[in-house]
Amino acid sequence: MRKMLAAVSRVLSGVAQKPASRVLVASRNFANDATFEIKKCDLHRLEEGPPVTTVLTREDGLRYYRMMQTVRRMELKADQLYKQKIIRGFCHLCDGQEACCVGLEAGINPTDHLITAYRAHGFTFTRGLSVREILAELTGRRGGCAKGKGGSMHMYAKNFYGGNGIVGAQVPLGAGIALACKYNGKDEVCLTLYGDGAANQGQIFEAYNMAALWKLPCIFICENNRYGMGTSVERAAASTDYYKRGDFIPGLRVDGMDILCVREATRFAAAYCRSGKGPILMELQTYRYHGHSMSDPGVSYRTREEIQEVRSKSDPIMLLKDRMVNSNLASVEELKEIDVEVRKEIEDAAQFATADPEPPLEELGYHIYSSDPPFEVRGANQWIKFKSIS
Amino acid sequence: MAALAALAATVGGLLRLRAAGAEGQWRRLRGAGLLRGLLQPDSATGVAAQRRHVAHFTFQPDPEPQEYGQTQKMNLFQAITSALDNSLAKDPTAVIFGEDVAFGGVFRCTVGLRDKYGKDRVFNTPLCEQGIVGFGIGVAVTGATAIAEIQFADYIFPAFDQIVNEAAKYRYRSGDLFNCGSLTIRAPWGCVGHGALYHSQSPEAFFAHCPGIKVVVPRSPFQAKGLLLSCIEDKNPCIFFEPKILYRAAVEQVPVEPYNIPLSQAEVIQEGSDVTLVAWGTQVHVIREVASMAQEKLGVSCEVIDLRTILPWDMDTVCKKFREAAYGKEELDFGRRMTVFERNSGFKNNTVLQLKINYIQQCQKGKKNDSLQGLCMGSR
Repeated sequence: MRKMLAAVSRVLSGVAQKPASRVLVASRNFANDATFEIKKCDLHRLEEGPPVTTVLTREDGLRYYRMMQTVRRMELKADQLYKQKIIRGFCHLCDGQEACCVGLEAGINPTDHLITAYRAHGFTFTRGLSVREILAELTGRRGGCAKGKGGSMHMYAKNFYGGNGIVGAQVPLGAGIALACKYNGKDEVCLTLYGDGAANQGQIFEAYNMAALWKLPCIFICENNRYGMGTSVERAAASTDYYKRGDFIPGLRVDGMDILCVREATRFAAAYCRSGKGPILMELQTYRYHGHSMSDPGVSYRTREEIQEVRSKSDPIMLLKDRMVNSNLASVEELKEIDVEVRKEIEDAAQFATADPEPPLEELGYHIYSSDPPFEVRGANQWIKFKSIS
Repeated sequence: MAALAALAATVGGLLRLRAAGAEGQWRRLRGAGLLRGLLQPDSATGVAAQRRHVAHFTFQPDPEPQEYGQTQKMNLFQAITSALDNSLAKDPTAVIFGEDVAFGGVFRCTVGLRDKYGKDRVFNTPLCEQGIVGFGIGVAVTGATAIAEIQFADYIFPAFDQIVNEAAKYRYRSGDLFNCGSLTIRAPWGCVGHGALYHSQSPEAFFAHCPGIKVVVPRSPFQAKGLLLSCIEDKNPCIFFEPKILYRAAVEQVPVEPYNIPLSQAEVIQEGSDVTLVAWGTQVHVIREVASMAQEKLGVSCEVIDLRTILPWDMDTVCKKFREAAYGKEELDFGRRMTVFERNSGFKNNTVLQLKINYIQQCQKGKKNDSLQGLCMGSR
């Protein structure tokens, strides 16, 4: 009886507290913006780099916080769904690297283009798709952004070209998109991302050469999370200064755990490209908490202590939160509210992703070719016929 | 199941055509009505099957080999490790390299080898398939034995140029002055169920049109060890595709000592008189099942052939069986051949064409005007 009363009172006080705290928040005076110092970037073939101070408005700060928290929660939810076998196949999570996707998006326009490899859920979100569509694509349902046929590695959106499985293959594509940007003359740039493992692929260097030769507005971005699957960068690369690997392409090394640093560097790089000077290379030094994919525990090639250290000292969400709270841009409660809202949004999306039906069997043959009229494609035996409609 | 249905249709269709007086033309089959109703799988009726299908076959181990000495129970990746171990022991110039091979490989095919033979002989490469194969060709040209691993057959395409344009043609273009015959490329191959686009491919057909290289696909641990040792010792660059779904699923008694299974020799696993079924890799087990189902349910006697070496393939064995089937019987006087493989590809067409031409020539000699019914399909 006492326990029940205690519980009831807790609930009631909780209900009562919420509106009160909102009133508190509204009445508190927050700063409109604050200036922060950010780490200086290492430069290669550049006279000057991005600024070392930046202004963050309250509005931007809250938006970045919400986005990063959404990406974090979405990845953790994907982890959970995978372990429940609701998501199958491959799943590469990017928690720890939120500052990269949100920071890059903050530095460019929605009309700019982005292409990356398979650790793409965060970018899919920042490029404009909803969590619902992303989770539904992971679970392979109709409501997914690729209609359930792509899965984790193949998500696409407007001005977001995926989602690519073969390591390094997306970089020449990015150079091509940059050519189109230059050709169309609309002042757009293309962000072409790849990892530290892919940085040793031959086609990357072919893309560097073409981009530099034709002065394409391409920002090559190496997301260096220190491990290519299970191989540390020291064991894979003769030179781990990935920002210098473009040789004749100027480069900068950016702290990828600090969203403001990423944002400023992106703005700088985008301005560089838009001015017609040609490509530029950015190395984002970041870290992933999970293993390479869901089948990799992630602790056989690095210590738990290392992961813990990064989590406690350089977590991107924590860094932003501390900055905002300490400069009176937001309160802890306000950010907690955002956490709660984000959690709810993810829960709803996960519900949707679990309940949505799978694509119908007829759609299996769609979009193999573009053809008019549709032609028949044979399935696993000669009586199973699918129409290939596109 | 799908294969059986197809087989049934083949036979049924043929019987029907024979009655109708077939002409000397190759015709695509339509399923015979009754048989189709009996044996049609669910998905063919258009009912969306929402359940998940896992591996649709049972691995059938071969009887324990007696002639190679002591044997040990091994699965496919252990048989590969054993073959590599034997190679490195016998040949002091042999080296193994590829992505992640040092710790044992993502499929555990190289476990323990670095500890045993040292880091100079078993080492990792960075992520660069074109580089791996190109580098391997270089190692082989100097005379050392190079065993390169491509992490998944799906990633072999950046190395396609090196294989087809460099490795395959080295001996020819240098007038036998140089060659990279001591190069063997190993890659996990084929469907595994959850691999999707880039962890499931079977690219043997792309290489099957390239003179100068050999392409081999084993069906079991015993076959794999013998064939891999033959590939390594063969004086031509070889590509050895390992069915990844069999790495753990296939368990057999495999000899501990090294032994060789000859390349370019198909194996007739089961004799039969009505239809010849040709397959390689995982599909061999599927069609073995199909053959026994056909015998049981349709009374059809199937010949099962494992092609083993895709290039250069054993035309004699396959065609011989084919001709025997055609000429050996009174009731059915035209032969049937069905190739079952995982991907629909040019190699199939090549085989069909070759057999068709071969057969037609024989027909013309013997003045028979029967139709050739070759049915090729991908099963699964």
